[in-house]
Amino acid sequence: MMETKKEFKYFTIFNHKKEEEYLREMHKKGWRFIKVSGFGMYHFEKCEPEDIIYQLDYNTEKDGREEYIKMYEDLGWQYIQDYAGYSYFKKPVSEMNGEEEIFSDDESKNAMKEKVYKARFTPLLVLFLAVLIPQFIIQLSLANYTVATFFGVVLVIYIICFIFIGIDILKSKK
Amino acid sequence: MDAHIRKVYVPMTETGFYILFSLRKENHGYGVVQEVERLTNGEIRLAPGTMYGSLSKMENDKLIKFVREEDKRKIYVITELGSEVLDLELKRIKRLYNTIKEAE
Repeated sequence: MMETKKEFKYFTIFNHKKEEEYLREMHKKGWRFIKVSGFGMYHFEKCEPEDIIYQLDYNTEKDGREEYIKMYEDLGWQYIQDYAGYSYFKKPVSEMNGEEEIFSDDESKNAMKEKVYKARFTPLLVLFLAVLIPQFIIQLSLANYTVATFFGVVLVIYIICFIFIGIDILKSKK
Repeated sequence: MDAHIRKVYVPMTETGFYILFSLRKENHGYGVVQEVERLTNGEIRLAPGTMYGSLSKMENDKLIKFVREEDKRKIYVITELGSEVLDLELKRIKRLYNTIKEAE
C-alpha cells in the first residue's frame, strides 16, 4: 500500500506562483502531488525525492482540449489535472536545459494573468455595481434600515475583499 | 490591414516573429518550436503555454489559418494578411540592421 498524505492549503487565485513552489518543494521532500480537490485539499504519494517543476496555466477553453494537452506533452510537460480554471502540468528539471517554464516570454505570462483577473473580477464587479449598491440606496431611501444595514455590511465585506484582491494583484505584478 | 493589427503586430515580439516566419511553410506548434530552435541554434526555446496562446491569438486575428489536424496536432499556415504583416516586420528589421551596420 502506497503511503499517502493530505494537506489543506489555501492559495488565492492570483497566487499560483506560490502554489507551484509548494508542489515543487513537496516533491523535493519525497511527496509526489497526485491531485487537489474540494476547497484546497492537496493529495500526495510517497516517492523518491526529485526536482520537478510544477506549472499552472489558466485555461477555461473547452474546445481543443486534446490538442492543448498534446502541445504540452510534445514539449515534455505531463498533464495532471484541471482545478478552478487552472490546468496543472509538471516536468522534471533533469529533462530541461536549465529551468523551464510553460511561458517563454513576458507577453504570454502577462496575457495569462490578465485572463485570470478578468475571469475573477468581472462577476464580482457586476454584482457589486448592479445589485449591492442600488439595493443599499433603495433600501435606505425606503427607510428599511434593517435591510439597508444588511446590504451595508455586505458592501463593506465586498470592499475589504476588493482591497485584498488588489494587494494580491500588485504583489503578483512584481 | 486595419489599425488594430498594425498596433498589435508592428513591431511584433520575437516569439511572434519566429512563429510567423516559420509558418511560411505549414506546420504544427511542436514543429514550429523545433524549427525555431534550429533557426536560432537552440537560443530560443518556445514554451507550450506561449506557443498555444500565440497560435490562438494569431488564428483569431487571421494572420495564420488552420489547415488540418494530424495526430491531435493542429497544422497552421500563414495567410495573406500574415504575409503582409511579416513583410512589414522584415523591412523594419532590415532597416534596423542597416542602421547598425552604418554606425559600425
